[in-house]
Amino acid sequence: MSGVELDGIVKAYGALQVVHGIDLNVAEKEFVVLVGPSGCGKSTTLRMVAGLEEITEGDLTIDGRRMNRVAPKDRDVAMVFQNYALYPHLNVADNMAFGLRIRKMPKAEIATTIADVAEILGLTPYLDRRPADLSGGQRQRVAMGRAIVRHPKVFLFDEPLSNLDAKLRTQMRAEIKRLHNRLGVTSIYVTHDQVEAMTLADRIVVMNDGRIEQVGTPMELFNHPANTFVAGFLGSPPMNQIKGVLTETGAKIGNTEIKLQGAINGHAGRDVIVGIRPEHVTLGQTAETSSLPIELDLVEPLGSEALLHARYGNDNMVFKADTNGDIAHLSGVEEVHVPAHLVKLFDAETGRALALGA
Amino acid sequence: MSDRNSDFGGLPVDELVAKADAALGQRKTRVRDSHWVRTWDHFRREWQIYVMLLPTIIWFIVFLYKPMYGLQIAFKDYSIFRGVANSPWVGFEHFQTLFSNDQFIRAVRNTVTISFYNLLFGFPAPIILALMFNEIINATYKRTAQTIVYLPHFISSVIIAGIVITAFSPTAGIINTIISWLGFDPVYFLTQPEWFRPIFVGTGIWQEAGFGSIVFLAAIAGVNPSLYESAVVDGANRWQMMWKITIPSILPTILIMLIIRIGNIMEVSFELVILLYQPSTYETADVVNTWVYRQGLQSGQYDLAAAAGLFNAVVAFVLVMTANTLSRRFSRTSLW
Amino acid sequence: MQKWSLYSRGDKFFAVVVSILIGMFTVATLYPFIYIAAVSFSSGFAAQAGKVVLTPIDATVEAYGYILRDPQFWISYRNTFIYTIGGTIMSLAFIIPGAYALSRPQLKGRRFFNLFIAFTMWFNAGLIPFFLNMRDLNLLDSMFGIILAFAVNAFNIILLRNFFEAIPQSFEEAARMDGANDFQVLWKVFIPLSKPAIATITLFCIVSRWNGFFWAMVLLQSEDKIPLQVFLRHTIANLSDDDEFAIVQTAAGFSAETVTAAIIVCSIIPVLIVYPFIQKYFEKGILLGGVKE
Repeated sequence: MSGVELDGIVKAYGALQVVHGIDLNVAEKEFVVLVGPSGCGKSTTLRMVAGLEEITEGDLTIDGRRMNRVAPKDRDVAMVFQNYALYPHLNVADNMAFGLRIRKMPKAEIATTIADVAEILGLTPYLDRRPADLSGGQRQRVAMGRAIVRHPKVFLFDEPLSNLDAKLRTQMRAEIKRLHNRLGVTSIYVTHDQVEAMTLADRIVVMNDGRIEQVGTPMELFNHPANTFVAGFLGSPPMNQIKGVLTETGAKIGNTEIKLQGAINGHAGRDVIVGIRPEHVTLGQTAETSSLPIELDLVEPLGSEALLHARYGNDNMVFKADTNGDIAHLSGVEEVHVPAHLVKLFDAETGRALALGA
Repeated sequence: MSDRNSDFGGLPVDELVAKADAALGQRKTRVRDSHWVRTWDHFRREWQIYVMLLPTIIWFIVFLYKPMYGLQIAFKDYSIFRGVANSPWVGFEHFQTLFSNDQFIRAVRNTVTISFYNLLFGFPAPIILALMFNEIINATYKRTAQTIVYLPHFISSVIIAGIVITAFSPTAGIINTIISWLGFDPVYFLTQPEWFRPIFVGTGIWQEAGFGSIVFLAAIAGVNPSLYESAVVDGANRWQMMWKITIPSILPTILIMLIIRIGNIMEVSFELVILLYQPSTYETADVVNTWVYRQGLQSGQYDLAAAAGLFNAVVAFVLVMTANTLSRRFSRTSLW
Repeated sequence: MQKWSLYSRGDKFFAVVVSILIGMFTVATLYPFIYIAAVSFSSGFAAQAGKVVLTPIDATVEAYGYILRDPQFWISYRNTFIYTIGGTIMSLAFIIPGAYALSRPQLKGRRFFNLFIAFTMWFNAGLIPFFLNMRDLNLLDSMFGIILAFAVNAFNIILLRNFFEAIPQSFEEAARMDGANDFQVLWKVFIPLSKPAIATITLFCIVSRWNGFFWAMVLLQSEDKIPLQVFLRHTIANLSDDDEFAIVQTAAGFSAETVTAAIIVCSIIPVLIVYPFIQKYFEKGILLGGVKE
């Protein structure tokens, strides 16, 4: 069981506490992504797992062993750094061999290991080159190669794609996913990019301000966000969130009542936040939709879709609509239609998700 | 240990909040590893960097800090036989002796005067050189000239002094040769007190001005080229650009170098002084450190000489600290 | 830098004047060396009479002959090599690990140690206490003493420390995760990454050792331990008064002046040979250390 268990992990610098108690179980072979805005403590948490930061409180267990006081090199973890940290004076082969040589692996074994891993990553023609002579994507692969040759129990990734341009990022994302499918090593991946989180993770851990906001599979988090933070973090453009009040029959925002799916159960009068994802609205009305009148401000064509920027009362909202090849018909839109079963409700005070009775 | 946030789907309204709060309450109190455990861990893992640092620290203690302990002989009547610890205290007696000693006073005066002339002539020299180098268009010419003027810095003071002595020699030297061509009598330069300072400062400039210009050249190179370009379009000539763009831009560097210079006022390059002076020129040439050298190392009056050295060091220290504070206030950069 | 063809008349005049001035300064810098070389190859009489201006007069290599036959010259030359090479190696042995340790954020008491070292740049105990200390340590008249007592200075440590600090933390972290201990990180990662800075410091050490004079003069008594600069100094100071020499010189073709000049030329030659190669290093070095300490 090469699982990683974080039990009440706290990080404090003197009196300042930056990570407030993380509980997380990463199962063997699982690919877990820690995602959140800058300063949320995800990198700190990762570094605590790596052993680069001291754990102030709580227990870290890898494969059944308590690792709090174990040096990084004895934890059997490998890390891919944001800026790759490739030794510029060594070529690709030597970069990958660095850790193996230190551990006094026999030369022949080192050679075969490197050859195999280079093969997997497509680095074989570049083994003799220095990092300076490689492209960004190639350097990234060498960094991963250096981690892979160690055959560790856990891979740790610290925002490895941040330094790549958008196109390369998309490419490398897929490669990382493929690698994981092939090698099946437990992985913890840190990023601030929610798209990376959604596409790579078996489970996503959304963090904010040193705390875990929610843990779950990408679709779980997308469809059932636990609070307004998670709701607004995943999905692009972000979910529209409008303040409203529960009534006997639905949720009222401004002068419009939005139909909901489920029983209100006598909670009318409760202040809520209504969440509507941009892509969930339709331009055509059906029996299950509520009509929301809007003042259209701007239409941004994206190709097959368009973004509609609109105002509702004092709130700015964004919606997505299909263009069907022509945006002219969109500029006259005066109302959108919200399907009842796709509306999300959150408590106005705490931001926590609310679910309605059956 | 449940992932407490993952069960929100499908529950009635209030139960949600209640469930989450209940999960919170379930957390056990954790124990922190004690302070001593952490410290022990730290040294167990990091002992190597302490080992790396130790020889250097020991070196500093043995060669630079231990003499500071011996500095107390400035306040004692020191005798080699009794040693430092057993020599009796005499308080400020040595300092009183110093300040009533004409030769010492003269030495202090000379130190300040020579430093002043060094500052007046020797400080601007590298700056002027740098500004001039900046105006040279032909890159090869510039490079060659730079290579040549940097050279004297790498030559030892003994050699520099040897060349100067030979050149100014009364019978053999080129200077006197030229003087006799012009019809004047030869001058025995290095025995005349009034000639010492000019020769000394001039030699210093020859040795250090070239190399010293590197810092200023680097600063000039850091000036944004667009400033010059817009000035050209506005119709300025090179002379104006030098005064209005280059010099103001490198003013912070100049200020810092000036401060370093002032901090070193008491440090007249006394090696060069020793090499160039003679008893007949002591009047203008003898500086504090050469006086200390003769009194202490040659005459064996260790305690008095140590007192003089202490005076020197304390003055220098105060100067540097003051200069540093001023610099911090003016240019927001400092030597720390 | 503008193109010459776009310069105005006034600017052209200015540039020409500056070039001439620089030319004059360059010549003035160079001349003393040419002069001393000329003296060294001149006959003793010509030199004493002040006839040498630019070229050797009554050219002869007698002065060199005299010097090269003097065993003390060779002994001193050898000593200088010993002090330079031994001294530089010892310096690096202290400075490199020390600077590395000081650059690590995990070093406890880092601020204290940095202050401890920087303080010595602003205050030192002085000539006498230093001398007495050497005496107490039994390092008077000792070659090892010369090598050890001047091995370290705060400036070089701070320069290298700053350079190490500028290297991103992730290199050390990656090496640690790969299993390297601190010595290995320093040796295998940081030193290769710091070649320019280390080259600069090595250069400073070599120059300072090669030219070192004062303390060698003060601390060493035995003739067989003095370096070249001290030997030169003795020659300049004493040769003219040396009766024995006075007799010899009138017979042969050299004089105190030409002999002095010959020693000077011999001392400068190694510097001149090495000089072209080191130019790029010290220019970078000034930028590295220079004003920001």
